[in-house]
Amino acid sequence: MNRVQKIALFFVVTISVAFLLSCIAIAILYVKVGMPKALAGLGFMGIAGLGGFSPLIFQTEKGKVTLDERDRLINRRAALAGFGTSYLLVGLACMIPFFILGPKASISVSWLPYIFGAVGLNLFFVHSVAILIQYGRGDKNGEK
Amino acid sequence: MEKNDLSNQIRRLRFDNGQMTQQQLADKAGVTRQTIIAIESGKYAPSLPLAFKIARTFGLSIEDVFQYENEQS
Repeated sequence: MNRVQKIALFFVVTISVAFLLSCIAIAILYVKVGMPKALAGLGFMGIAGLGGFSPLIFQTEKGKVTLDERDRLINRRAALAGFGTSYLLVGLACMIPFFILGPKASISVSWLPYIFGAVGLNLFFVHSVAILIQYGRGDKNGEK
Repeated sequence: MEKNDLSNQIRRLRFDNGQMTQQQLADKAGVTRQTIIAIESGKYAPSLPLAFKIARTFGLSIEDVFQYENEQS
């Protein structure tokens, strides 16, 4: 497993753990105190921020080739997948309320930071998963 | 419909060149071992500069290392 894979795996784990804990916290708080106070459970999403430290945790080995043309191609494809799904998510966040509430309804602007955060996390998550999938497919026939 | 297939002789050439390991070839070509594995197994088609580098590592021309088959159906 190379450095890029380790960073991607770290992002997937931190975002997944953060999302899972947030869902559990919101569910528990919803039963105890109801909405909108239950949204305080989203505080667990802060765990996802740990992913930002991954380049510091997994440092490059000096004097060794760690990134080449294939890695750059994989990263480009993964970024495309991440931005593509993020665009889809923004589209859904805009169109679903429109079709459910109707053209004359209005929604609170407090939803905008949530949409922004969700799209950002989705971008990193899909990017990382796409990296792991692409490496996973081609990492066979190796010699020790 | 057109089907393009790029095959190569890297595995055989490595063994013909004193049992060269994938890591040794990767170091000489300036890429990672994973990329050599992917090229050898035909899962990744290298760029022209990388194909030249690999061929020159063995002291051969590109055609001796990589074969391109073009099938039209």
